[in-house]
Amino acid sequence: MRFLPLLLSLVITIGVSVDPSPIRAAPGETIAGAARKVVKLYGAGGVRGLEAFQTGILVSADGQIVTVMSTVLDAEEITCVLDDGRRYVATLTGIDPRRELAVLSIKGEDLPAFVLDESEPLPTGSRIFALSNLFGVAVGDERVSAQHGVVAGVIPLEARRGAYEAPYTGDVYILDCTTNNPGSPGGALVDWQGRLVGLLGKELRATASGIWLNYALPVAEVARGYREIIGGTPTAAGDKPATAAFDPAVLGVVLVPDVLDKTPPFVESTRPDSPASRAGLRPDDLLVAINGRAVASRSAVRQALAPLADGDPVRFTVIRGGAIVECDLGPRPPTVRNP
Amino acid sequence: MKFSLWQTVVLSAFAISTAVAALIVTAAAVASADTLGLEEEAAFRRAVDRVAPAVVRIEPAGLSEAGIGGAAEAAPATGPSSGLVVDPAGWVVTTAFAVPTDATQAIVMLPDGTRQAARAVGRDLARGLVLLKIELAPGISLPVAETAPRSELAVGQWTLAVGRAWSTTAPSVAIGILSAKNRAWGRAVQTDASVSPANYGGPLVDIEGRVIGILAPLPADTAGMMAGTELYDSGIGFAVPIADISSVLPRLMNGETLRPGILGIGYSSRDPFTAPANIATCRVGSPAAKAGLRPGDTVVTAAGQPVTRIAELRHVLAPRYAGDTVELVVDRPQKAGGSVRVSARATLVAELPPWRRPMLGIVPDRSAGVEKADGKEKSGGVRVQWLWPEGPAARAGVREGDVVESIIEATGNDQPGAAEQAGDPLRVASPAALAGFVGGTEVGQMVRLSIRRGEKILPIEIATAALAADPPPNVPTVAGTARVERLEAPEVAKPPLVVMPAGDARTPLGVLIYFGPPPGTGDKADANAALAEPWLAAAAQHNVAVILPGADDPQRWSRMDIAALARSLESLRTRRPIDPARVAVAGRGAGGAFAWLVADALGPAVRGVALLDSALPRQATIEAAEPGRSRWVLFGQSAAQSLPKLAADRKRLEDNGFPVGILPEMLGETPPAADLCGWVEALGVL
Repeated sequence: MRFLPLLLSLVITIGVSVDPSPIRAAPGETIAGAARKVVKLYGAGGVRGLEAFQTGILVSADGQIVTVMSTVLDAEEITCVLDDGRRYVATLTGIDPRRELAVLSIKGEDLPAFVLDESEPLPTGSRIFALSNLFGVAVGDERVSAQHGVVAGVIPLEARRGAYEAPYTGDVYILDCTTNNPGSPGGALVDWQGRLVGLLGKELRATASGIWLNYALPVAEVARGYREIIGGTPTAAGDKPATAAFDPAVLGVVLVPDVLDKTPPFVESTRPDSPASRAGLRPDDLLVAINGRAVASRSAVRQALAPLADGDPVRFTVIRGGAIVECDLGPRPPTVRNP
Repeated sequence: MKFSLWQTVVLSAFAISTAVAALIVTAAAVASADTLGLEEEAAFRRAVDRVAPAVVRIEPAGLSEAGIGGAAEAAPATGPSSGLVVDPAGWVVTTAFAVPTDATQAIVMLPDGTRQAARAVGRDLARGLVLLKIELAPGISLPVAETAPRSELAVGQWTLAVGRAWSTTAPSVAIGILSAKNRAWGRAVQTDASVSPANYGGPLVDIEGRVIGILAPLPADTAGMMAGTELYDSGIGFAVPIADISSVLPRLMNGETLRPGILGIGYSSRDPFTAPANIATCRVGSPAAKAGLRPGDTVVTAAGQPVTRIAELRHVLAPRYAGDTVELVVDRPQKAGGSVRVSARATLVAELPPWRRPMLGIVPDRSAGVEKADGKEKSGGVRVQWLWPEGPAARAGVREGDVVESIIEATGNDQPGAAEQAGDPLRVASPAALAGFVGGTEVGQMVRLSIRRGEKILPIEIATAALAADPPPNVPTVAGTARVERLEAPEVAKPPLVVMPAGDARTPLGVLIYFGPPPGTGDKADANAALAEPWLAAAAQHNVAVILPGADDPQRWSRMDIAALARSLESLRTRRPIDPARVAVAGRGAGGAFAWLVADALGPAVRGVALLDSALPRQATIEAAEPGRSRWVLFGQSAAQSLPKLAADRKRLEDNGFPVGILPEMLGETPPAADLCGWVEALGVL
């Protein structure tokens, strides 16, 4: 049912050419000017759920392109089509696995390109355009599709798709237009003056709620990733903390046994002389947040504790007798490994 | 709700057609003041700033794993969402998404970042809203937002959907226009601003920051065709008008649970948009019956509003709660011709006594009503194939081979006028027509059958009885054979086996879908044969096609298998006619619980579910049986198994009007093929 917003929003594929003009907040000129710097990419895929196309943005006049890392790029030949229909074979320069960015290059000159301007982030409520090869409907010399919306929020990314978890956890723009569809990843997010403010992200769901996310990586992060790739020093994806390794029992908390998956995270008891008992945790306390992160269920408790490293501060928020009580458990003790 | 390939095609066509429109839009924008867009942007921010102090973040608390259901990948699960302060004394409205019915508390995070424990005090089940109360320190009050008068709302005006779920500090905003003022049968306004779990419970405000309503995952259709959360990112968002909430706020503060009001009528047409509100059924003991409404009446006025179609009546009824009174005017046809106008006053209720499936105890000849070779439908009634032992028909003297020609409700009294009211008897042309009539009666209703026996026509009066819970022993059988086939269907990777009875290809088949233990990884050809073997004889004897599905994941049954199964069933339907009264799902162990989910997914097409060595699945929701939505449920157990939940499940089903039977104790691992296939035959009883 996600096609309705597209029908209702401004989906534009314009074939007219407009001269580069002074920056003004006129939507038509803004879109026309910015869309020239957005390219359609075609590579591997083409089976259900794995589209063979996405979007990229030109960031230099000699043909450097930034896009998102994806299976589309797993092709022997990546085709890049400019807004005027010119076709290039793109080569993969490098990737940034942490931000999931990739840089491609084409042999061109005097190409229109975005400036990777690392200005202040846009505040919530700012109007934006998203320009992308949405669903691959723009073909040949047709410009990419434009959608309009606002920055709905700026939040740290916590996203996944199935078992895959997004490695980037910094701030992203959440958008109120539907960009989480095939072809959008790698598209340009521009403000109403045509400045690049972000790169449209992959099709992911929010970890907390499971809803599809419409998000974009802010331009400052795009610029950092681009520099690292060009400079040959991309940050590694980093080792994710093992999720099952930490046993909450080392904190001295014993939860009420889970009968038929029907038991909320109530404290049954605390071990004497443990961080939990020293923090004043009591039987029948209902755990509701750990380090400020809401934990509504037992699985949420496990998820919130899993990424904590030895020595990280641990604070439990509980409901006791209808009131909120904060319990500071101090630094996380090391997990005792069974011999 | 991701896009599929065909939708891409649609979009391609759309993009081309939009190009022209887009050019016009572009031209207009260029022509207008360059600064308009930025001025609007500034107005958006001001609007958000004005309402933001009254928008809170709601975090679920105290949820069980069962409540979450592990559905994060398939549907929005439980995350933080939003709420709106509606009273300075600490009253906050949010949605049932944030505080499901099994949760009594939640955490409210105020705009200053402090968390407060909140109690769920009242619920509006008709609109999915929850009223929370937080205790405030003396002297503290919460800011309440200004509201926009309903009379000022205009379709096309700017609307902003504000929430606090994404961030603990700043509110989130989505921009759109007011799409419609009267949606979801009068319960909501509609916006194209992005409405999702992130802002459910938050306000929809106008460009001045005044509250229009509370964003809520309201189902678009009261029949629940589409759960509300499925609409996120669709361009359709709903908000419950704030005035509607204010009017019931005192009741919610008082701890009341407000439920949708039910009148208890069924319409004679399934098309609400063209057909008049003609009453086909009036449930016994329902508000409609108590108000004196009768089948045959046509509602012409409801609560002062003229009603010409069913949809208009629904618009009047859907926003009303149980306990509300509604004035109705109906046209009642007269035997002599013409009609009289009758006024009635009905007090709606939250629930009706569950409907119990009535039966005469007649099992009709399946081939009745089937087109003959010459293309003409066999007319002249429904032949009795066999009789339910000791059933109402058998006791009233009906015999096998009799032909039921017509049926009429017998009033059971001889008062003057009684016969006039009853109308003409229904000529019974097919088993389906007879089933429709019997299903529309209540248990205990006297009916008069006109029966042809040889050359004679006999009137026989029978009182219907509740459908017996246990299938009768010794269900009659027919001679025949069956063979095993693969039921190939498009887009089904692992087509199920089907044990297909041979015999007359025009006789409608019963269908039994059987989920054994998950097939496991050892996929040997002879194992398939072994799987089907126990069913061969029973399938042939009862003319039942037994489908033995394949699993997408060999270790467990999954939702993927349901979609595949629906396609397989369609494929079967193209090969042989299926008797709609005899479609059942059964399963053993994990397959039993899964069978229940399959039956839920396939809907009213499934008339029976058998759970062997299995209780109902944890997430089973059981709605009270209604005509057209009832299932015959069987439980079966092996000697070694014990099911502690069985008695509770049985009571739960029976309380909701479902007949629940028990199969004889099962021996060994062989499925009780004869019992199950006999039961499928018995499902066709009228």
